[in-house]
Amino acid sequence: MFNVQVDGVWRQFPKGTRVIEACEQAGSYVPRYCYHKKLSSPGNCRMCLIEMGLPKLGPDRKPELGADGKPVINWMPRPQISCAQDVAEGMGVRTNSPLVKECQRGVMEFLLINHPLDCPICDQAGECRLQEFSVEYGTSESRFLENKVKKPKNVELGPRVTLDDERCILCSRCIRFCQEIAKDDVLGFVDRGSNTVLTAHPGKRLENNYSLNTVDICPVGALTSSDFRFKMRVWFLKETKSICTSCATGCNTVIATREDMIYRQTPRENDAVNSCWMCDYGRLNFDYLQSERRLLEPRIFLGNKFAAVDWPTAIAHAALQLKPFSGWEIAVVASGRMTNEELWLMAQLARALDVQLIDIVARTGPGDDILLSTDRNPNTNGARLLGITSEPGAKLPVIAEAVKSGRVKALMALGENPIDTGISVEQLSNLRAFIVMDILANTATEHATVVLPSLGFAEKRGSTINGKGRLQRLNRAVRGPGNARDDWEILRDLLQALTGSNGIYSIEDVFRQMSEAVPQFAGLTLSKIGDLGVQVMQARESPSPPVDPAVSDIEKAEAKKTSGRSR
Amino acid sequence: MDEAIGRYPPEHKRSAALPLLHFWQEHFGFISDEGVKWIAAKLDLQPINILELVTFYPMFRQESAGKTHVRVCRTLSCAMAGSYRLMENLREAIGFEPTIDNHGTHNPISVSPDGNCSIEFVECLASCGTAPVCMIGEKLHENVDPNSVVDLVSNPQSVIRNPQSPHPLEHRLVFKNIGRADWKIDIDTYIDNGGYEQLKKAVTMSRVDIVNELKTSGLRGRGGAGFPCGVKWSFIKPDEKKPIYLICNADESEPGTFKDRYIIHEDPHQLLEGILISCLALDARTAYIYIRGEFPEGAKILERAIEEARKHNFLGKNALGSGFDVEVYIHRGAGAYICGEETGLIESLEGKRAYPRIKPPYFPAVLGLYLCPTIVNNVETLCHVKHIIAMGGAKYAQLGRPNNTGTRIVCVSGDVQRPGYFEIEVGAVTMGQLIYEMAGGLKPGRMLKAVIPGGSSAKVLRADERFKIKDRQSDGSIIEREMSIDEIPMDFDSLTAAGSMAGSGGVIVLDDSRDMVWTLNNINEFYAHESCGQCTPCREGALWMKKITERMLHGGGVVEDPRTLKTIGDNIAGRTICAFGEACAWPTQSFVEKFPDEFASRAAKPVPPPLPPEYISEELTERETIPTTALAHDPGWEKAGSAGTI
Repeated sequence: MFNVQVDGVWRQFPKGTRVIEACEQAGSYVPRYCYHKKLSSPGNCRMCLIEMGLPKLGPDRKPELGADGKPVINWMPRPQISCAQDVAEGMGVRTNSPLVKECQRGVMEFLLINHPLDCPICDQAGECRLQEFSVEYGTSESRFLENKVKKPKNVELGPRVTLDDERCILCSRCIRFCQEIAKDDVLGFVDRGSNTVLTAHPGKRLENNYSLNTVDICPVGALTSSDFRFKMRVWFLKETKSICTSCATGCNTVIATREDMIYRQTPRENDAVNSCWMCDYGRLNFDYLQSERRLLEPRIFLGNKFAAVDWPTAIAHAALQLKPFSGWEIAVVASGRMTNEELWLMAQLARALDVQLIDIVARTGPGDDILLSTDRNPNTNGARLLGITSEPGAKLPVIAEAVKSGRVKALMALGENPIDTGISVEQLSNLRAFIVMDILANTATEHATVVLPSLGFAEKRGSTINGKGRLQRLNRAVRGPGNARDDWEILRDLLQALTGSNGIYSIEDVFRQMSEAVPQFAGLTLSKIGDLGVQVMQARESPSPPVDPAVSDIEKAEAKKTSGRSR
Repeated sequence: MDEAIGRYPPEHKRSAALPLLHFWQEHFGFISDEGVKWIAAKLDLQPINILELVTFYPMFRQESAGKTHVRVCRTLSCAMAGSYRLMENLREAIGFEPTIDNHGTHNPISVSPDGNCSIEFVECLASCGTAPVCMIGEKLHENVDPNSVVDLVSNPQSVIRNPQSPHPLEHRLVFKNIGRADWKIDIDTYIDNGGYEQLKKAVTMSRVDIVNELKTSGLRGRGGAGFPCGVKWSFIKPDEKKPIYLICNADESEPGTFKDRYIIHEDPHQLLEGILISCLALDARTAYIYIRGEFPEGAKILERAIEEARKHNFLGKNALGSGFDVEVYIHRGAGAYICGEETGLIESLEGKRAYPRIKPPYFPAVLGLYLCPTIVNNVETLCHVKHIIAMGGAKYAQLGRPNNTGTRIVCVSGDVQRPGYFEIEVGAVTMGQLIYEMAGGLKPGRMLKAVIPGGSSAKVLRADERFKIKDRQSDGSIIEREMSIDEIPMDFDSLTAAGSMAGSGGVIVLDDSRDMVWTLNNINEFYAHESCGQCTPCREGALWMKKITERMLHGGGVVEDPRTLKTIGDNIAGRTICAFGEACAWPTQSFVEKFPDEFASRAAKPVPPPLPPEYISEELTERETIPTTALAHDPGWEKAGSAGTI
């Protein structure tokens, strides 16, 4: 630990702390544009200039001590940037001296002279560092009587990012992000001096899967998201902390909404998961929640047509349809997109009905070494831990075979389309019961006997376990549309209809029940997971599912049979 | 091309970007997009990395120039000697449309309709003593008569000027071979005159001994900052594991300075010997000479000198049988003043935009070229190393004055009768002697108005100022004397005490015919053009100051302008990544402070009302009508180009 004097008060900071971070920790925020703690420090914006000093050394090369027993500080005559140096023993900094304020005013004035004052139509307005620091560190009037430098506007840097060069303050954060994090050296500065312009080579586009992070870190309105552009003033947006469910990484996010509309998703810092970043694929993957294909009403198939019914009727009908069957007559195609709570209730249901044929649909795609996982299910680990699957998707051929052979009479599809697992439309039509719980209509939905419309990731609460074994929490950012209902409630009601009251009234109750049965969740509650999650499993560890050995043996026997048959 | 790439460590072949761009432009005339992509692919880079360079370095063109390309120097000494008129006359003679100054990054190139000829205004060509100058192709033309441009274009023979023989007040060490009638630049002449003897001596000395001689000599860097050379060298750890690099800074581009040009052109082996001795002292196995792009002949001369020296085994493997392998390579710049800043130079040498690095942590002696320990020294400084080895550090230290030892080359340009270079014992000559005796005094009937004593970034000194200068005696005691400008000794400490600096030794003399607003505007234009644009104060401030002085020059000065100029300077100096901040702020600060009347007389108009007219809230509530002022109430203001203010 180093002793550092910040604005007159001696404090301690660990070795390796950046001065600018130390100041912030000490409650003296130092304004900055170019500095970003996850990127290299070029020191180019000069906004973080502070006064700095090192201990005055006596003739014996030891620090001279003042009356207070602390080192006397030899203040450097020139202001120093605080973003490029680490704290040192006996260092002193002043963040609000007259010199520092003068520096800040000077830099603010320089940054504003050529900056267009188009704040009223700028997407960054409201979350613009230039605006914020103008209030705190700037002057109220302009002395600039010249013409501003003209630069390109409305430049499409790539499919998702639009650039306004006149707003750019040349902090180079985006360039460094592309080089250092996205490993796609596509942006650069051309020309020189005040005419310097951010651009990409005409033959290249900023189209890597992380391009929108440049918009997040742009301190001004130079880089804007083409998706979000001109959609909503940011100050109207309600922010909800959540996690991305587009792959097993589970990047921490903030969902920005207004009146049950999602406008954007941005990454939220979590060094155990996603640092400050997220991929474009995950970020923009929320439009389907506002799709026209959303299932809005519970429906049952009666006679030869669908009828929209109320929830009690739908649940009762589903229970009625399932009741005649048990064991090998029932199959469940569940989803790695379901939350732990949903999976847990499903597991209870499966146990109640003695269901053996249950699995999730594996979902994979090309990954990268940055954030995107090859496993595109957000909760494969949860499904493993809660015994829904041991090898995702391995049992689906068995289920398909069993449906085909007519052994399975009742099929439940939870957030997945069984047609994709090799079951034909005809086979679905032949089922005595085909219960669908899903968000969107798909090719199988119209063959269902009961349709239970449920909620998307941004509309509900619950927990998931990411690919590295971290338990994280979803939060409700918007209300679900129509009569769609929270998945865990649907499953709870179904369970109640089949087995009687189970004392579960809230999602917290579900989690409590889980935490009592699953050792990895011991002592946890939904609120204890917190915003940053809790590590509950070792990364890449395939947990032994909490099922009794007998079931396990049957599974093994079944798997053997399957493999024999397929050969 | 592969040879050019081979000059740099394989993992740093990006360094070859500038050489390859030069090859491409020499071959095709300009850098096309194919060129950008081809070079990027060759160096395993992205096209943007190359495009960044093409647009940063003014010597690279993205469109074709004429068969004969003329570069006219625009900077102060040349402008004072009529380079604007030269430009006008050239345009007229060749039949160009006057180009609109687009205030872009690079001055526009105008090409004649038949494509035979093109002209470009460029910043300082480092030949201020023979102003005005221009380059036709690769040839420098000196003392060009602005009124006889037809000859210049039709008969483009380089005007060879007679080398200047020494003035009696001079003490020539570095320049002792320059101007000799019998002097040739080949290695044999050099060896016959005792050349490379000091290298042979240095081979027998230990590293520590050489560095100690340097420390004893008290040699201070001649590039501009005046940092003690021996101290700089001793920053290299004796047990350094990483490779150590020596870089010779031959990017001479401070307006008013033109000394290194002559060393390179007329005594290249002296520089090479100095470099090789320094390599021995520093254990540097590789030295790069970063020579500015506008010295194409100099680069060729040095290449030749290196080959000659290699044949004599002064460099290469096992140089002089010492077991020491040393290589010296030439690296050409491409027209960016900022490459004279040592960390900017290092970035440029690494094949990047010459953005100076932040210090800490990137002190060159610790994290320099390729993040290895690196020493960057000016051409003249490295030449002195040879003489220090010859004379011994102690004897060298007797030259000049305490803390200001040795000799240095002072370049005088501007309004004097005989501009030129003079090698003096530091501090042994006063400003008055320099101007009136050595440089022949002012032009007939003219009076001294001001002197810029150390390159255009040094603060200006007024002719009628009184300076309080502390004179350090040889016994260490200090006597303070008040003196006139003529009495100031030409040394580091005295000029610092006078409120300016010795800088790079470029003395620009201004007589009473000079308009200080015009002069400052010329300087401001240089710095606005040369600011690299990396950090905020200099990027925005340099152009702003230029815009103000230009407006003042065109009759649009408002009363607030001098104060605004001063505070802009205050907000730049000391707040930037590199010393360019001071370099561009000091002229403005000093001109405005020292010539207030001249600036005030150009700044008489009232400040225009802000847009939209503002009122205070009390007025709104208390008064029936809100007083507003017409927008452009002053026609002169409009003329000055104030459209779209604020």
